[in-house]
Amino acid sequence: MPRRFFTASAPGRVLAGVCAGIAQPLGVDVTLVRVVFALLALAGGAGILLYLAIWAWSRSEREWWTILLLLVAGSLLLNAVGVSDRAVAGIVLVAAGLTLAWRKGGGLRPDAPLSYGGIALAGFGAVLLLGQGSAPTRVLAPGAVAGALLLLCGPWLWRLALERDAERAARIRTEERADVAARVHDSVLQTLVLIQRHAGEPRRVASLARRQERELRGWLYADQPLGDDGSSLVAALSAAAADVEELQGVRVEIASSGDATPDSALVLAAREAMTNAAKFAGVEEIDVYAEVSDADIAVFVRDRGIGFDPKAVPDDRQGIRESIKGRLERAGGTATVTSLPGGGTEVELRLPR
Amino acid sequence: MKRRVVLVDDHGLFLAGVRAELGDAVDVVGEAQTVAEAVPLIKELDPDVVLLDVHLPDGSGDAIINAVGPDRPGVKFLALSVSDAAEDVIAVIRAGARGYVTKTIDADELAAAIERVAHGDAVFSPRLAGFVLDAFRAGVEVAGDADLDELTPREREVLQLIARGYMYKEIAARLHLSVKTIESHVSSVLRKLQLSTRHELTRWATQHRLV
Repeated sequence: MPRRFFTASAPGRVLAGVCAGIAQPLGVDVTLVRVVFALLALAGGAGILLYLAIWAWSRSEREWWTILLLLVAGSLLLNAVGVSDRAVAGIVLVAAGLTLAWRKGGGLRPDAPLSYGGIALAGFGAVLLLGQGSAPTRVLAPGAVAGALLLLCGPWLWRLALERDAERAARIRTEERADVAARVHDSVLQTLVLIQRHAGEPRRVASLARRQERELRGWLYADQPLGDDGSSLVAALSAAAADVEELQGVRVEIASSGDATPDSALVLAAREAMTNAAKFAGVEEIDVYAEVSDADIAVFVRDRGIGFDPKAVPDDRQGIRESIKGRLERAGGTATVTSLPGGGTEVELRLPR
Repeated sequence: MKRRVVLVDDHGLFLAGVRAELGDAVDVVGEAQTVAEAVPLIKELDPDVVLLDVHLPDGSGDAIINAVGPDRPGVKFLALSVSDAAEDVIAVIRAGARGYVTKTIDADELAAAIERVAHGDAVFSPRLAGFVLDAFRAGVEVAGDADLDELTPREREVLQLIARGYMYKEIAARLHLSVKTIESHVSSVLRKLQLSTRHELTRWATQHRLV
């Protein structure tokens, strides 16, 4: 809706109050406005039509009338100052075309549809103007045409650009959704199927859920890569812990301070220690802590289980001697097992960096 | 006397589970599911301990602590979460929570943790101990004061043992100290962490690709 800066004014009105209405907000004498209208009226009656146009405009529902009256008033005025008929017709057509485009809601709002009728009309007007021979219009016409084209096509081009941006955003969203869907399918859905299949085995269900939880968390917080990509000791230990959880039905809590590239001897020894704790300690939960300092990497595997006397372990027990101690020593590290009957067990693995 | 506890968690199922598990060990006086619900409720009930989820639909746990803390200095907060992101956990601790435990904790341990927090002591899970050691070890100025930037060797030792899965009682026996002394070391670590500025911790988090 056009904003009306004036209302046909009641005080001091002679006809419809248009002159008084214009004079008031402009702060000029009413008589001056009336003189201007009277002079314009001499130009082929343009002033009268202009007066009627403004009066129609003041009644908001008559916009088409306003436009029509303005166009006629404008052409009369141009004719009166000596512009040729053909040029007047061209200018009127351009103005009408632009108006039509604006009225259709095209105009400067990029989301509105373009009025092709308006474009055609303005184009036809422009051709008329260009074909005109007299000097002043030859200079004016190309500028007017360029301006008209800009007015008409600018919003349209702008809209195209916006649409392209929106499309790109939508495509990125779709790709992201596909990525999430693929991951959910590969991991969560598979796990849910397995859980349904093993519904009667609470331990297996718990370890499946636990493994899934660990995986999802690793992905969500990017703390640890999904699965073990070979670059993180903590991720490698987590993967080993998940295997032990699944195979042995225990919980393994992993804490860490710092991270390093994984060493396979260290990870395998830690895994063996977790497995031993799960098998022999008689506990539900095992704590694993990895600490990376400048000097070395330490991994602690601890349980609060029944414990044992390390001296009483026969030499042929493969687990501790070979899989843990031997492995670490060959890699240049040390393994210490601390255990007391009834006091739990802790395996400390150290590897210099 | 039983401790008066308010539970704040947006998972109804989890709320019900915790209430059932805690049973008679504590007196659950109220429950809330959002930050907006929790703040007036805690102010009104003035409980001993608030069990707080780190993530809530309309904000995070530290928003509640910041809103309630000045008015009700007697209320202690214990964070309870499945979140593993160091950044989130450290934020709640910095706001004033006296500890952090994961939701997989069993009922007896949870009741013990509530009791300890109500006493004004700190509760560190192994994971939190790891995060905290990491923060100090990174050599970043944590508190901006030379005495506070570093953990004492004893504090470090205690935190390492917590990270390795030892309970306070076990740590005390191992180091030939009293449980009270262990508690005071942990509280001191907590204080150092809470004195740190947001800026410096942000730097730490950035270094660890957490933000």
